[in-house]
Amino acid sequence: MNGMTEFRLHGRGGQGIVAAAAVFAEAVFREGRYARAFSLFGAERRGAPVTAFIRVSDSPLMPRCRVYRPDYVAVLDVTLGGSAVRSGLKEGGALLINAPDSQNAASLMEELNPDGAIKLYTVNATAIAVKHNLTIGGFPMVNTVIIGALARICGLAGLASIEEAVARRVSSRREDNLKAAAEGFAAVREVSGHER
Amino acid sequence: MPVELITGNQAAALAVQRAGVELVAAYPITPQTAIVETLASLHAQGELKGEFVSVESEYAALACCSGAAAAGARVFTATSSHGLAYMHEMIHWCAGARFPIVMAGVNRALGGPWCLDPDQGDSLSQRDTGWLQLYCSSAQEVFDTIIQAYALAEKIMLPCMVIYDGFYISHTYETVDIPDREEVQRFLGPPSFAAQVQPGLPANLHGLSTGETQAKLVRERHRTMKEALAVLKEINARFAAAFNRKYEPVEAYFPGKIKNVVVAAGACADTVRWCLPRLADTGLIRLKALRPFPGEEISLLLEKQKIERIVVVDRNCSTGMGGILAQELKAALYPLNSPPAVYDLILAGGIDFTPQMLQRLLAQREPHRGFAEIWGVDLL
Repeated sequence: MNGMTEFRLHGRGGQGIVAAAAVFAEAVFREGRYARAFSLFGAERRGAPVTAFIRVSDSPLMPRCRVYRPDYVAVLDVTLGGSAVRSGLKEGGALLINAPDSQNAASLMEELNPDGAIKLYTVNATAIAVKHNLTIGGFPMVNTVIIGALARICGLAGLASIEEAVARRVSSRREDNLKAAAEGFAAVREVSGHER
Repeated sequence: MPVELITGNQAAALAVQRAGVELVAAYPITPQTAIVETLASLHAQGELKGEFVSVESEYAALACCSGAAAAGARVFTATSSHGLAYMHEMIHWCAGARFPIVMAGVNRALGGPWCLDPDQGDSLSQRDTGWLQLYCSSAQEVFDTIIQAYALAEKIMLPCMVIYDGFYISHTYETVDIPDREEVQRFLGPPSFAAQVQPGLPANLHGLSTGETQAKLVRERHRTMKEALAVLKEINARFAAAFNRKYEPVEAYFPGKIKNVVVAAGACADTVRWCLPRLADTGLIRLKALRPFPGEEISLLLEKQKIERIVVVDRNCSTGMGGILAQELKAALYPLNSPPAVYDLILAGGIDFTPQMLQRLLAQREPHRGFAEIWGVDLL
């Protein structure tokens, strides 16, 4: 990993993916590492696919390009699934998806991890966001749930740092977002091929 | 001095606030927008003293800055791409009038078709206008360079563009050490250049001249600009003493015996720097100042090394000629006895520059004699 860990986030405009990347980077930074987060967007429109990148390193010197070989991929939008999100994910890397609890584990594995080369995780981010009334115009804001879950998986930021970063960076619905992040941290599950 | 995770655009806005800028006139355009938003917000909170003028266009922004600079005020504007192109006439005028305006230029490709990626062609197409041009490789450097740019511009009375890549710097959250306003004020002081206009004293400025008068003025401007490198070095030394960070107009990273040198500016230079320990025989020359062009410094750096090949990273293309940094560099190679081969890596359209791309290019074993043009899109 060259002392550097790379993340790619997939979401849609309006889901707060850029803010999520910044909150995550802030949490990692609060733990004494260097972090960078940036996003690419074409036309900044609600609903358009948006990709964000995070790099974490012990050194401030990091390349300034997109992440093509991520260690971790997180997918905020359930409709952005499919094997394309796995593109470039390192062998042994982890894929986190937002999926309902009813999702069949075997079919998920078949779709996203048929070779067993990666670790696959799910969190029911939509339900958690809805539970905490985190919706804008009817759209669930799953970003803080996802970063809670992502922090748990990668181990680069503890829940306390995530909460501190949310408190510093999220100005609206702070309490609900703090609860959502903590619930994401707690609820994330690894999907094993043997489950049914 | 708190260290915060902020973007390049936020760093630019905070530098403007810390510098005690007295007038901001700007029009939003992607990817510069967050600079204007942040300054507007600081102004609304009463933390940005002075005037914030929401103008109707980029042309008006620079005209507004010109008027205030003529009255002796410290002013700021920022733009990108089509906004910079729309300013073009005023850009020349500001240099001719010797207004020490500082502008942030956030690189973005020019249409058509519409494109948001960070092609440097917008700022490079203004390189002959008489403005200083300083290219930054990090959000920290954006902050520090804006402070230095005011010191430089007001000392030599020439306007200065502080330039950085859209998205890869403008939208990247990274750690920035943000000195407080008092520290910056101690370094910079209030503007002390002479006002060209004053209330109650009507004046007609910069009226009709002859070619000969112009020639003398251009010569003076040109000589002043060339001397700016030495002034920038002085300012840099003073800045390093105050803030413990330094930047040179040309920075050389030569790890031991090298055969290749990569020449780059902006975000791409940072990526090359990360690559150096992972590459054999390769060094980096980072161009911070493009105007004035540090040609002599570059020749001196290169004549001491046995370089076989120079790779120039050009996130731009002068159609019909090639990469612009490569063109400029070739002039600096002219005094060398046996100049190295020059590979011009053209990333027009602002395409991503990756370590893999550089590795692939350096792996081409037989250096071409003379000059080779390589298109980044062919190495993706």
